[in-house]
Amino acid sequence: MKNNLFGYRIKRHGIYDAISKILVFTGAVLMTLPIIWLIASSFKHQMEIYQLPPVLFSRRPTLDNLRQLFVDSKALQWLTNSTLVSLFTTIGTIITGTMAAYAFSKLNFYGRKTLFIIFVSSIMIPNEVMIVPLFNLILKLKLQNTITGMALPAIASAIGFFMMKGFIDSISDSMRESAKIDGASEFMIFYRIILPMCKPGIGALFILTFVRSWNNYLWQLLMGTQKSSMTLMVGVSTLFSDIDPNMALKVAGAAIGAVPMLVVFFVFQKYFTRGISMGAVKG
Amino acid sequence: MNVRTKENINAYLFIFPYALFFVMFIAYMLFDGIKNSFYELSYMKTSFVGLENYKTLFSDEVFLQATGNTLVFVAVIVLIEIIIGLWIASTVFDMKPKFISFIRIGYYIPTIVSMVVMSIVWAFLLDPKGIINYFLKQTGLGSVNFLGDPRFALLTVIFVVFTANIGTTIILYIAAMSGISLEMLEASDIDGVTRFQKVIHIIIPIVRPTTVYILITNIVAVIRLFIAIQLLTGGGPMFSTTTIMYYLYLNAFKYNKMGIACAVGVIMFAIAFILSVPQLNKSIRAE
Repeated sequence: MKNNLFGYRIKRHGIYDAISKILVFTGAVLMTLPIIWLIASSFKHQMEIYQLPPVLFSRRPTLDNLRQLFVDSKALQWLTNSTLVSLFTTIGTIITGTMAAYAFSKLNFYGRKTLFIIFVSSIMIPNEVMIVPLFNLILKLKLQNTITGMALPAIASAIGFFMMKGFIDSISDSMRESAKIDGASEFMIFYRIILPMCKPGIGALFILTFVRSWNNYLWQLLMGTQKSSMTLMVGVSTLFSDIDPNMALKVAGAAIGAVPMLVVFFVFQKYFTRGISMGAVKG
Repeated sequence: MNVRTKENINAYLFIFPYALFFVMFIAYMLFDGIKNSFYELSYMKTSFVGLENYKTLFSDEVFLQATGNTLVFVAVIVLIEIIIGLWIASTVFDMKPKFISFIRIGYYIPTIVSMVVMSIVWAFLLDPKGIINYFLKQTGLGSVNFLGDPRFALLTVIFVVFTANIGTTIILYIAAMSGISLEMLEASDIDGVTRFQKVIHIIIPIVRPTTVYILITNIVAVIRLFIAIQLLTGGGPMFSTTTIMYYLYLNAFKYNKMGIACAVGVIMFAIAFILSVPQLNKSIRAE
C-alpha cells in the first residue's frame, strides 16, 4: 500500500519534486544539528569537546560550565544588561514610533510627504556609516558602559515608525471621525481609540525591536568595555576570544547566548511571523 | 486657517519625539560623519585635509582588496540566498501546514540564535582539530583549514552567513507563495506541465515583489556584515575576509584613524546606495 502511494506520488509530481522534498527536509534537519551539538556540548568536560571520534552527548554530564558562567563569569549580569538595554530601546521605539506613525497616517500637515521620504529613506543608510561620530558623541556625554548609552541611538531607527504607519493605515477612519465630531482632541483620539486598536501591531513591533536590539552586537561591543557592563552577546564573544583555553566554558557560554532567543521565539512565534511580513527580522 | 494650523501643530507634536531622536542620532551623525571624512583626526590635532583621506584610500591595497571582497560577498550571498530560498519555498509551500512549519523552524533556528552564536559554533566545528575535519580525514579527503587558509576563508565565511540568514528568506517566500491558487497550478497539469516548469514559469514570476524586497534588504545587510568576520577570521588571513565595513572598524577602533574611517563610511554609504537604487527603480516601475 505504502509503496504504491510513493510510486503514485512520484508519477504525479515528478522526480524533481520528490528529490527536492527529500533534500529540503534533510537540509532542515542538518540546519538544527549545530545548535543541538552546542547545547549538548555545554554539559561536557573540556576533554570531551575535542574528543575524536566525537560524541554528541557527554558520558558524564556536568553542570560545572554553567556554574562557572553564572558564578565566576558574569553571565547573569550580562543577561540582565541585555534585557534592560533591549527593553529600553523597545519601549522608546514603540512610544516615538507609534505617535509619529499616527500623525503620518491620519493627520494632514505641511511637509508630510517630504518628511516621510526623509525618515523612510534613512532605513537604507547602513548604521555603521555613522558609527564614528556616534561613538564620539556618546563618549562626550560620558554614556559609555551604561544601559542608556547602549540603548539610546537605536530608537532613531525608522523601521518601527514605518511598520506602525502601515498598521495604522489599515485602521478605518470612521471611529476617528465620529470622535472628532464629538469634539475629542487629537491626543484623546490617539490615546483612547487608536492605541488600543494597535495592540497586535505593537506586539509585533515589540518582539522585532527587542530581538534586533538583543543582537545589536557592534554597538554594544563598542559601548561595553568593562566586563560588568557587557551585554550577553558581547560577553559570550569575549569568552570565546579569551586566551583561556577552557573550550567547554566557551561552548557553554555560546549555549547561554542561544537559549534566551530560542525561548522567546517559541513563546512568541505568532508575533514573529506577523512581524516578518510587516517589516523584517534580520539575524 | 486656524483649524489647519491647529492640525499642523498637533501633527508636529506627535512627530516631535521621534524627530528628536532622528535629528540627533541619524541626521546630525550623517552630517558629522561626512564632515569628518575631510579631516585628519588624531590625539594631537584635528586638521582639514580635504580629499586626502579619499586619495589615501584609493591607493591603499587593503582597501581595494576589501572593496573586492565586499562585492564578492554581496553578489554570492544574495544570489544563492534567493535561488535556494526560492527552491526550498517552492518545494514545500503547498504541503501540509505541519510540514511547512517544521521546515520554516528548522531553517530559521540559526537566525534565531543570532550570528554571534552561529559564528562561535562554526568556528568550533570547522577548526582543524574539529568535527568536520575529522570526518573529512575519515573519508580520505584530507583536512581543510577552513578559516585559516586564504583560499577558503572567504567562502567559509560566506557559507556561515548564508546558513544564518536563509531562514528569513524562506519564511518570506513561503508567505508570498501561500497566496498562490493551488487550483490554478493543478489546472496546468492537463497541459502536461511538470512541477519544475510550474516553479520556473508560474511561481517565481508571481513572487517577484518579494524577490525585489529580499534583494534590497539583503544587499545592505551583507554590506554591513561584521559579526561573522570578527568572530570567525578577524578579517584575515591576509585580509582575505576583510570587507569595507570591517576595514572601517579597523581604521576607527584599531588603527585610530577616525578621519579615514569616516571616509570609508561615506564610500560604504555610496556603494550601498548605488547597489540598491536600481532594485528600487525596478520595484517602482513594476507598480
